[in-house]
Amino acid sequence: MNPIDDQLNRLFRAARKPDAGEFVAPFGLETRAMAAWRAGRLETGSWDMGVLARGLVVAILIMGASMWPVLHKTTTDPLSEYLQASDTTLASDETP
Amino acid sequence: MTDAEVAECLARGRDGDEKAILELFHYMYPHVAKLVQANLPAKESAEDLIQKVCIKVMSHLDQFSGKVPFLHWVSRIAVNTCLNQIRHEKRRPEVRLADLSEEEANVIEHLTTAPTDLDASEQMAANELVDKLLNGLKPADRLLIKLMYLDGHNVQEIASLTGWSRTLIKVRAFRARAHLRKHYLLLMKETP
Repeated sequence: MNPIDDQLNRLFRAARKPDAGEFVAPFGLETRAMAAWRAGRLETGSWDMGVLARGLVVAILIMGASMWPVLHKTTTDPLSEYLQASDTTLASDETP
Repeated sequence: MTDAEVAECLARGRDGDEKAILELFHYMYPHVAKLVQANLPAKESAEDLIQKVCIKVMSHLDQFSGKVPFLHWVSRIAVNTCLNQIRHEKRRPEVRLADLSEEEANVIEHLTTAPTDLDASEQMAANELVDKLLNGLKPADRLLIKLMYLDGHNVQEIASLTGWSRTLIKVRAFRARAHLRKHYLLLMKETP
């Protein structure tokens, strides 16, 4: 074995921590964890802001789509009215 | 806790049964504590990190598919949480002899001059020296070396704990070991 690898292996062997034995949850940790879990459940049970925001976007889109023909008509109307008026004028001029 | 009892607790926990959640907490706590303490990032409180992992598990029980044992799933959450914390830490490129304490320098001297194992009294210095050497590695490589050489897990066990493939583990271990060798050689060259 490479002497460097051998030295590293011996170093790792020495650095191994002995088994800490039985782990017991410290006082208060259980209570804090349960409180955080309860708070998380309450949050998911109440209004979801993401759904609310998506609903708002959909509502705006529907409003925009329904208003589009009206707005479109208003912006094109002056020109079409002008042309219609010209046609009428011409037609009236040619009237014997 | 048997597998059937865990499954029953999980089902009740998903329905919001507090008693079941509490049972799961006590069941997973030793496992989480052991993993977090072995891979604890510097400047991080073990208790805070254990709490963070336990809350993550308890709040996402519905995401547990049951394809792997419950404790393996918990391990992966614990390992990933530790990794995320370690990622925030700065990586030190290399350790210089001047960074070592007298005891740590003695450990190097012992390793280079005598073929024997280190004494028990040198364990703390060896631990600190390993930590300093590992600080130069990428977070995932550091975690892997700790699991493999300090906790004594084999490739299969690490795959279960982390969710990484066996090939990835072998490649990472090889790369990490090469980095460690390079850092250690640099230290040795500086030793008078």
